[in-house]
Amino acid sequence: MRNRAIFLLFCAICAIAIPGCGEPAKSIVLWHAYRGREESAIELLARRYEEQHPGVTVDLLSIPFDAYSSKLGAAIPRAHGPDLFIDANERLGVYLRDGLVAPVGDALPDAEVGAYDKTSVDAVTLGGVRYAVPLTNKCLALYVNDALVKSDPKSIEEISRLRASLPDDVYPLAYEAPNSFFHAPFLYAFGGRMLDDRGRFAFQGEAAAKSIDFVRDLTLARVVPVEPDGALVTRLFASGHAATAINGPWMMSELEGTVSYHVIPLPPIEAAASSSTHGEMKPLLTVEGVMLSPTGAEREEVRAFARYLAGEDSALLRAGLGQQVVARSDVWQNDLIASDLKLKAFHDAARAAVPMPTSPAMRAAWVPANQAIVKVLRGDAKSVDALEEAAARFADAMRPQPPPPSPAPLLVALGAILLGLAFYAVRRAQNPSFRVAVRKSMPAYRYVAHAAIVIFALVIVPLAAGALASFFAGTETHPLYVGMTNYVRILTARGGPLLGHGSFYLTLLVTVLWTLANVTLHVAIGLVLGVALSRPLLRFKAIYRVLLILPWAVPSYVTALAWKGMFHRQFGAVNAILKALGAEPVSWFSHFSTAFAANVATNVWLGFPFMMVVTLGALTSIPKDVLEAAEVDGATRLQRFFKVTLPLLKPTLLPAVVLGAVWTFNMFNVVFLVSGGEPDDSTDILVSDAYRWAFTRDAQYGYAAAYAVLIFFLLLGGTRLLGKVAGSEEGIT
Amino acid sequence: MTLPHEQLSTSVSVASASSEVSAPATAPKRKLRCSVRGAKKSFGQNPILRGVDLDIEEGAFAVLVGPSGCGKSTLLRLVAGLEELDEGTIHLGERDVTHAPPRDRDVAMVFQSYALYPHLSVRENLAFGLKLRKTSDKDIDERVREASKMLSLGELLDRMPKQLSGGQKQRVAMGRAIVRRPQIFLFDEPLSNLDAALRAEVRVEIRRNHDQLRATTLYVTHDQVEAMTLADTLWVMNGGVVEQKGTPLDVYERPRSEFVAGFLGSPQMNFFDAKLEKEGDRWLAIGEGARIAIGEERFGAALTEGRTVRAGVRPHDLVRAEEGQPIAGNLHVEIIEALGFEAIAHGWLTASGPRVIARLDADEARKAKSGDSIPLAVTPGSAHLFDPKTGLALDAK
Repeated sequence: MRNRAIFLLFCAICAIAIPGCGEPAKSIVLWHAYRGREESAIELLARRYEEQHPGVTVDLLSIPFDAYSSKLGAAIPRAHGPDLFIDANERLGVYLRDGLVAPVGDALPDAEVGAYDKTSVDAVTLGGVRYAVPLTNKCLALYVNDALVKSDPKSIEEISRLRASLPDDVYPLAYEAPNSFFHAPFLYAFGGRMLDDRGRFAFQGEAAAKSIDFVRDLTLARVVPVEPDGALVTRLFASGHAATAINGPWMMSELEGTVSYHVIPLPPIEAAASSSTHGEMKPLLTVEGVMLSPTGAEREEVRAFARYLAGEDSALLRAGLGQQVVARSDVWQNDLIASDLKLKAFHDAARAAVPMPTSPAMRAAWVPANQAIVKVLRGDAKSVDALEEAAARFADAMRPQPPPPSPAPLLVALGAILLGLAFYAVRRAQNPSFRVAVRKSMPAYRYVAHAAIVIFALVIVPLAAGALASFFAGTETHPLYVGMTNYVRILTARGGPLLGHGSFYLTLLVTVLWTLANVTLHVAIGLVLGVALSRPLLRFKAIYRVLLILPWAVPSYVTALAWKGMFHRQFGAVNAILKALGAEPVSWFSHFSTAFAANVATNVWLGFPFMMVVTLGALTSIPKDVLEAAEVDGATRLQRFFKVTLPLLKPTLLPAVVLGAVWTFNMFNVVFLVSGGEPDDSTDILVSDAYRWAFTRDAQYGYAAAYAVLIFFLLLGGTRLLGKVAGSEEGIT
Repeated sequence: MTLPHEQLSTSVSVASASSEVSAPATAPKRKLRCSVRGAKKSFGQNPILRGVDLDIEEGAFAVLVGPSGCGKSTLLRLVAGLEELDEGTIHLGERDVTHAPPRDRDVAMVFQSYALYPHLSVRENLAFGLKLRKTSDKDIDERVREASKMLSLGELLDRMPKQLSGGQKQRVAMGRAIVRRPQIFLFDEPLSNLDAALRAEVRVEIRRNHDQLRATTLYVTHDQVEAMTLADTLWVMNGGVVEQKGTPLDVYERPRSEFVAGFLGSPQMNFFDAKLEKEGDRWLAIGEGARIAIGEERFGAALTEGRTVRAGVRPHDLVRAEEGQPIAGNLHVEIIEALGFEAIAHGWLTASGPRVIARLDADEARKAKSGDSIPLAVTPGSAHLFDPKTGLALDAK
């Protein structure tokens, strides 16, 4: 029996390992994040290529968009990534820095450059070297509702004049105003830009201020809806509640079967016209292209396949079947393709577009820019001040790394710890009684060995790796040892005021407040409902129980997104109720108190069922006699609850409170999804702030890791403290 | 046990052995501390009490006894206020408390499970009810000291309930009632969780405390030994009604019904289906293999020739026949339980007759063995007669 099990295990290991051990197959591996029509097109192309080139196989791997670049970053340096992959040009800077891409070489020879749109080729060219073969252009254009707009608007002002003729609940123009990607055309129209040539933050100064002020006026005039997200823009336009919308080609698939519309390039802004510009709206252009990994670029058949994918025949198919705005100018001469006026409009828009900056700094620029726009649109700050603050935040995130200190202190400390441990181990091992004890407990060790191994591999190792990462700065591929600098910077609030914006202490304060508010409400509501549900004479008890446990059963991010929607200023259910009651609608995410309250409301909704279930369970262990004894002793209902029930629940509730506090302290989902830190990162808690340092502020993984280590020690200390309180109560039961 | 009952009925003040409502006009000498009138209670479709009256005089120790399900605990909980009556009234002292919550009744209760507050020390357990009533700290201290002295709780005062033995918990539970100085003490089978030896000890302690405090007490038990030894007045309940009340000995000696006769006394009374016959001037109950002499003076006119009856003889009144004594039957011994000072013999009079239990002296028990045949005699005047249809004693009033 045992031998058979070992044999089976061996077979399983072989089945996993052997395909990886064999000679690398001569297939071409292509990664993409396409869905739907685009995916069908790329698959068809791959199969055709295989037919035309016998002996070559193409393996397509579709990767979810969210995980795409991190998977590339993890796979390519370890030589099990793709030979080529399809990605957007704006990521080139990061990929280049991390060594994930190589020049395309003869996949896009000089002779063929002329066949492509010039802007597209420019977008994938860095320092005169081409790093991708352009496939498609994606940029913003104007969707126009045929029924609501008689003739194509010649300017944004003309759209805003539609306000007078449109019904009250129809907006002349819908777009994601708080998002700087959608704001960019306005910025460029006024002559501003996002980054300067050296990758510095350029979203400031007069032009930028004017562009935001212009949009604020549009919002105030109810030309543009307040703070819409992408889903809302689509919904407004699809339901005929927006006469025009600024959006990319991705909205087309969602409009099928809704309203009749057409697409035109973005019209200019008259107010922006000056001697230097004509007020042209220039959207940011994302060029998707085939990129080659360093190993893939060395293989001729890979480069040939890349050339094929971007070639004329393929482009026709991608445009026709895949509905892509292909980046080749020659294809648009084809009548069949050019007859698709919507696609053609996007292609025309792309010509006027500004290629998306490829600098890695762009990643750190979006959030401060968005925050500045939101602040101005809400009237919380003047545009000039908001932009100055944005620039400062960008600089804070992008501040240069300190000179690497000597790693000697860390190594000495590590060495001393290891030496101490070794000394201790030897001392223990020499003790004969210890050896006897170990031999005696051998069977016990055998029982727990698998659990210990799993915990070591899944908990201890990542923990140690995370802690180690906190001593480094830079990227995964180019780590830079910085010693304790990350900790010093965090604990000195990066030289700013201790309770200033983004300081560790301010965030910690918010986190503690967040935890206290939530746990208090969880316990209070859970207790009340638990006690109410345990009343023996209650009817329909089972139904209430199920209904009240329901919030717990729904995945927390679903709940969080639903609540975020409910708190929307214009279209949310909460404000609708307030309005129906005659109260002023509240802009929930524009003040700390209301945004914090929205977060707490969501998390309380998520968290009370746990405490309720714990209470229900604990209540069954309280003998009825004891409560009756209290009743006979003269206790009122309230006295019985506070003097008997509650003290008896305490031993069960305390561990639940500790657990709940830890969960809440680290409740990333709700904070990230409901308020998203709004307004102005003020509602962020430590984990969501750590996330931002790692993923939206120039990928400072080391800095984020130091945050995580600090959170770990805070929770360790906190739970030990609560555990001591709980321990002193142990005498009860 | 053999005291003439005439003497008994004068020594204890029991108004009447009837379960009929005694009108206030026939008021007892002492004040009533607790009186329940026409108590009815059902749980769902299931009637538990079918109209019960209960009177406890000031300072009396009343015991409710009966088999499980007879409604005795429910009656106690009704007096405590933990259940509400469907019909009827409850008075404590002068007050009508029928609808009052427990805290307005001034009662104290000792639970079968003791129901100590697990999160409070012994001292806090004792003081709990007093604190709720806003008694001054000085008074609380004094009363706790007094009660702990009475129950020897001194060393236990600072312990937690889980550190106590069963007997200690029991004493704390009593202490908690005593410090309250309530109008009436309620005990709900307080000894049933104790082992036999401890039970006997605590039983005595309870009676001693009562004698010392002279506090009105209502005590519920299914254990007839407790009932017999503790009660001033015994209330035997069955099927939601009071079958008989009276002093323990009165009830034991003159059971009003076959149920009471069978329930009180251990081992249980022997019953025979019999016919009354007169042989000379002696009345006999003739059953299968049994000839039981009947005391004429006790039953008087109820004795008619040929009447079918249920004759009852307690095992202790069924003993080996001395020479010359009339033989009531021959016991075919099956088992002998030797108890030391005496023995209990189980067997039959005839193969088809009912099982019979008789008492043997220790000496006889040593000689007797299974399969023997022992001639039995009935102690004169000890036989009880019941109507087979109504179950009532022939001498019942």
